[in-house]
Amino acid sequence: MGAAALGKAAREAGGRIVAAIAARFRDLDIAEEAFAEACARAAAAWPDRGAPCDPAAWLYRVAQRCALDEMRRRRTRERHRPEPPAPAPTPEEIVIDDAEIIPDERLRLIFVCCHPAVSIEARAALTLRLVCGLSIDEIARAFLLSDAALSQRLTRAKRKIRDAGVPFEVPGPAAWHDRLDAVLSTLEIAYAKAHEDAAGEGPRAWYASEVLRLTRILAELVPEEPDAPALAAMVRYAEARRPARVDDTGAMVPLSEQDPVLWDRPLIAEANSYQAVAEAKAGHGYRVVQARIHRAWCARRSLDEPPPWSDVLALYDTLVERRDDPIVRLNRAVALAEVAGVAVALDEVQRLDRDALERFLPYHAVRADLLRRSGRGEEAREAYEAALALGPTSAERRWLQRRRDACHAGIREDRP
Amino acid sequence: MQYMLMIYEDERVYGPEKSGPALQEVAGKQRALRDELGAVWVGGGGLRAAASATTVRTANGSQTIHDGPFAETKEQLGGFHLIDVADLDEAIAIAKKVPLAEDGAIEIRPLLSG
Repeated sequence: MGAAALGKAAREAGGRIVAAIAARFRDLDIAEEAFAEACARAAAAWPDRGAPCDPAAWLYRVAQRCALDEMRRRRTRERHRPEPPAPAPTPEEIVIDDAEIIPDERLRLIFVCCHPAVSIEARAALTLRLVCGLSIDEIARAFLLSDAALSQRLTRAKRKIRDAGVPFEVPGPAAWHDRLDAVLSTLEIAYAKAHEDAAGEGPRAWYASEVLRLTRILAELVPEEPDAPALAAMVRYAEARRPARVDDTGAMVPLSEQDPVLWDRPLIAEANSYQAVAEAKAGHGYRVVQARIHRAWCARRSLDEPPPWSDVLALYDTLVERRDDPIVRLNRAVALAEVAGVAVALDEVQRLDRDALERFLPYHAVRADLLRRSGRGEEAREAYEAALALGPTSAERRWLQRRRDACHAGIREDRP
Repeated sequence: MQYMLMIYEDERVYGPEKSGPALQEVAGKQRALRDELGAVWVGGGGLRAAASATTVRTANGSQTIHDGPFAETKEQLGGFHLIDVADLDEAIAIAKKVPLAEDGAIEIRPLLSG
């Protein structure tokens, strides 16, 4: 019983607790270690005495005390005069007085983790570690890094934050624009990692809701910036489709074949209102256009309605003007195949920078699909193998295998 | 916290031996910044051209004296400000105001003693 309660509380409230302690003590290491220590104490105490009625508040309180102890030890070591000790609550007090509200300092912590003085590669990992509470192992897998390499990156980033004097504050309006962009990009990466797992059963699917929450807070905080509500809309549109992304056999379902009846309508309605806010701010930036593409898809009500390919293609044309990169062009090619034909799309995909996309799974999957539909079965099969070799999630693997096995040289098919 | 703002520019923009009119103009702006900073400004100043540098290097316990800066670079350390502010964001805000003749970079480094 105790272990289950601890796992749940640590997972759900971990980020909030670490953020609250980091904001109070202005030290990421102390916050992280204090929270780990509180979890260790809970693991020792709860199985015998039973979990407290508010496990998260218990963890917060104990972690605060651990942090305070550590601060005192450090001060003593540095031969500074220690602060007068705070009255230490007894274990009974901790259990009784556990209805304390944990202050939500996560936004502050995000701005620390995404400070421009922190290396770009470290920002998303640090946010996922400290704000979303992912384990080193989970983040390392998401970023295709070894545990050791990731730990080193995180350690370096935390040391930089401490030594350079990065403030634990939400920046003032003058710095908003630059700072916000760094935060939004980080959340985009974080959500993409959660979204990759279509079935939502992998180790990182659960924190999608965390990213949704953080985007809502940002959208409320910066009403004048269209990109914040646009990102809030985008992750909601994407998340709303989750129930339809996997079929009964556990295989991924491509967007155009998903049954819109299964999509989460209330979440789409929420996304629509965020998107309306972004549009009202006359936002025409990259993120606003990207959210429009999601909105076009989510406007579909049933499989009887034709997919919105021509709208989607027009939006991708706009997107290419905003940000011309191989990934945007690859996504555009998928729509292009439906509007202008497979041959035109395949031509476009073959012209993309192969070296840049070699390790990008959707590149091989899109190429394979277009080759298959052009009747080039053998090449299609090779492209599917290349996609499978990049370690897809289980749902995606099943879908790719099925498509690969359906490849027979010489059979032409214009619709999947 | 105390930070050192190190000003790196291609010193050729200031003419031979940093005596051109660009120097007078930028030096005036530097003084204005110093006045604006008031008590935040702890110290600083402009440096003569890198050609005036002398380097004492210690290696394997013995010391040698060289003509020139410790490293030849495209942009040279041309001056510095030492400031006392609350955090990095304040230091960045001041670094953005440091006048330059043309392109250049301001490196912000916290002092060990904080």
